[in-house]
Amino acid sequence: MSFLELEDVQTYYGQSHVLQGVDLEVDEGEVVALLGRNGVGKTTTIRSILQLTPPRSGDVRFRGESLVGKDTHEVAEAGIGWIPEGRRMFARLSVEENLRAAVPNATDVDEALGTAYDTFPILHERQGQRAGTLSGGQQQMLAIARGLIGDNDLLLIDEPSEGLAPQIVSDVGRALLSASQEVSILLVEQKLSLALDLADRFYVMDHGTIIDSGETDDVTAGDERLRRHLSA
Amino acid sequence: MIEHLLILGDLLDLFTSPSRLIAVLIEGLAKASLYVMIASGLTLIFGLMDVINFAHGAFTMYGAYMAGGLILAVGAAEMGFAMVVVVFLLVMLTIFLVLALVGTVMEVSLIRRLYEYPPIFQILLTFGIAITLEEFMRMFVEFQGINNGQYRFGWETPRLETVPTALRGATDIGLVRFENIHVLEILLGVVTIVAIWTFLNRTRYGLFVRAGVEDEEMAAALGINVKQTFTVVFAIGSGIAGAAGVILMWDPLWSVSVPLALAVLLPAFVIVIVGGLGSFKGTVVASLLVGMIDAFGTWAFQTGAITFTGIDDMMIFGILVVMLILQPRGLFGVEGQGDHG
Repeated sequence: MSFLELEDVQTYYGQSHVLQGVDLEVDEGEVVALLGRNGVGKTTTIRSILQLTPPRSGDVRFRGESLVGKDTHEVAEAGIGWIPEGRRMFARLSVEENLRAAVPNATDVDEALGTAYDTFPILHERQGQRAGTLSGGQQQMLAIARGLIGDNDLLLIDEPSEGLAPQIVSDVGRALLSASQEVSILLVEQKLSLALDLADRFYVMDHGTIIDSGETDDVTAGDERLRRHLSA
Repeated sequence: MIEHLLILGDLLDLFTSPSRLIAVLIEGLAKASLYVMIASGLTLIFGLMDVINFAHGAFTMYGAYMAGGLILAVGAAEMGFAMVVVVFLLVMLTIFLVLALVGTVMEVSLIRRLYEYPPIFQILLTFGIAITLEEFMRMFVEFQGINNGQYRFGWETPRLETVPTALRGATDIGLVRFENIHVLEILLGVVTIVAIWTFLNRTRYGLFVRAGVEDEEMAAALGINVKQTFTVVFAIGSGIAGAAGVILMWDPLWSVSVPLALAVLLPAFVIVIVGGLGSFKGTVVASLLVGMIDAFGTWAFQTGAITFTGIDDMMIFGILVVMLILQPRGLFGVEGQGDHG
């Protein structure tokens, strides 16, 4: 039994058939990259797992239990965290309030805050600042910190390097590598080198289905097999 | 020309006479306090849920009728000042809880079904609920003979029988004269503002509300039960609407009648729009603005400077029109989001 298992997931936006039978697995302690060009259904796959866009058919199981039909907050309570594309800070809440909102059921909020501040000391310095006024890199750190301090066993991470300067990307990469020691990760990432550095396995999506998969040790960022799938 | 000079003379008289000015300002604060109580529930519900609750005024009207009935039932007419005030506050708490329960049932059983539909569905639903509640009360009132079938007559008797003597008159401190009931209204207004601000900014649940206001999906993905948060906010907003009715029942300018529902709803909407949709801070500032305009309008009418009885309403709705033209988002509104800071 896989930790996370998607079986023939079919998801629609209105009449648009976006996911056309996605099968995917993530094992416990594993980092899996989900690769593909823009618009092939990677983010929809994550939204389907979270039940933000519930699948019309197929199944999503976490630790063997189906998530289909659950509310999104129940999916989160089951131990699945989300670090979304575009960060989605609560812009008018302070850094500390953003972190507090990330642990709604925690008994020791201060301990959770301590973990976040130890990982990203800059967030401690800016704890009273409105999140919307942080730089892009700091916002990404806050997004990752929110995912880390939640009581999560699996993190769904969508485009963590998007729009960041190279130096910040390496900081983010280090933070994710550190996170991967604690939790399983399903990572959607356009920057192939970062994805392959972090992941144990990969899936490639096209037109709403998985068209290729393998071990990251068997491929490189310049690999013709991947470039063919990922080039526009 | 002579009329204009007379008005100018009255204005000069007002602003050169600190005692009169202070009296008008106190009345303005009292009116602003009532408006805060009337409008804050509406803005809370709109801020988080994007639901424009047309039944809000009906909740206030029910709160007023229930308050009169309850205070009479416990025999407040025979009690001393302190005891009546204690009963009044207990009745206010009871009505808050009852209307909060009504709001909970309404949100869970009716409104929740329409979140995924365009806003017009919620507007039609709450409008329908408002009309149903108003007509039900109208039938009850006629059947009981409370209003003698004259809806504009108001429920004078319970108010006169329950308002303590100490709150009926006015007090002079130095040269300043103010209505005693205004002190209670201002106190309740301050308590309402502090309570809502504390709830939103100093409690864990308030944090969930503000997070849900900004990004409902993200809040849910972090484990916040947004549906439950919606229900709690709707319950609190409905409870505040009912509690506002309790003090309106004692205020001689409002008192109790079925049309109170509409009389409350219109200025509440003006305040919510002028303050900025969903902004609690905006609601407080707009209440102050509207309260002061109302008080100065009343003063102008009382002095005879203006003889047109609708001057305060005209000025209040004038602000709405100006605001919609110059700054449609209102004083503190942000597109697509509420701000409870």
